[in-house]
Amino acid sequence: MLDAGMDPTLNSPIALAERRLAWLDTRQRLLSQNVANADTPGYRPSDATPFRELLNRNRPNAAMRVTDPRHILPAGASAQAVQDRQVSDRAPNGNAVSLDEQAIRIAETDQAHALAMGLHRKYIGLFRAALGR
Amino acid sequence: MDLDRALTISAAGMAAQSTRLRVVAENISNRDSTGQQPGAEPYRRKTVNFGSRVDRNLGAETVRVSRIGRDQAAFPERFEPNHPAADARGYVRTPNVDSMVENMDMREANRSYSANLAVLETTRGMLMRAIETLR
Repeated sequence: MLDAGMDPTLNSPIALAERRLAWLDTRQRLLSQNVANADTPGYRPSDATPFRELLNRNRPNAAMRVTDPRHILPAGASAQAVQDRQVSDRAPNGNAVSLDEQAIRIAETDQAHALAMGLHRKYIGLFRAALGR
Repeated sequence: MDLDRALTISAAGMAAQSTRLRVVAENISNRDSTGQQPGAEPYRRKTVNFGSRVDRNLGAETVRVSRIGRDQAAFPERFEPNHPAADARGYVRTPNVDSMVENMDMREANRSYSANLAVLETTRGMLMRAIETLR
């Protein structure tokens, strides 16, 4: 069995990039949900829990080991939706989605996705170079 | 996958906004539709209600037009004694459609449609970037 320190796919920038990408996917889904409901009365926008919290919650060295297929890993390995607390404006019908705010977050998500994807590709390239392909 | 779901949600948002635009078009085109005989009701303005719906297959909250209702506001009256729908006093009831309100509704629908389209394009870009790594 490979040690976590040896296996490049377990504890490396690649693994980190993959988790970041999974988080960004979830965030993009939540943001598109907010924009689609921009005219729904009483709708309150939500966003993903910050990535930092997700990293703290299950860092690789503190994670439990699965030595038996019947073991269940603790929940919380993926991002969750939280309702926005800082709501800047609220329409008379109770809707609190601000389209410009959502647009900024979507642009952020897009850029972060490009960065994580680039990192992932560069590291895969590194292994390719080492393998001489 | 979350990005696929994001695409579906944006598409649902665009569909809901186009239904709204269709209702606006109906209202505007029937702005002068009065009744045919005395005392008949003219065209009553339609309204659109949005509601968010939890899609169990998708595991996400999408949007849809929950109800197309009728505006209960009173009809304005116009004095036109030789109109077929004129009552005994010579007044005709006209539709309760306000073109300013419809215009504003149309612009808002347009804006929300564009916002959904922009999200869709961003999501598509992210998907394409992921597909690119396979090359």
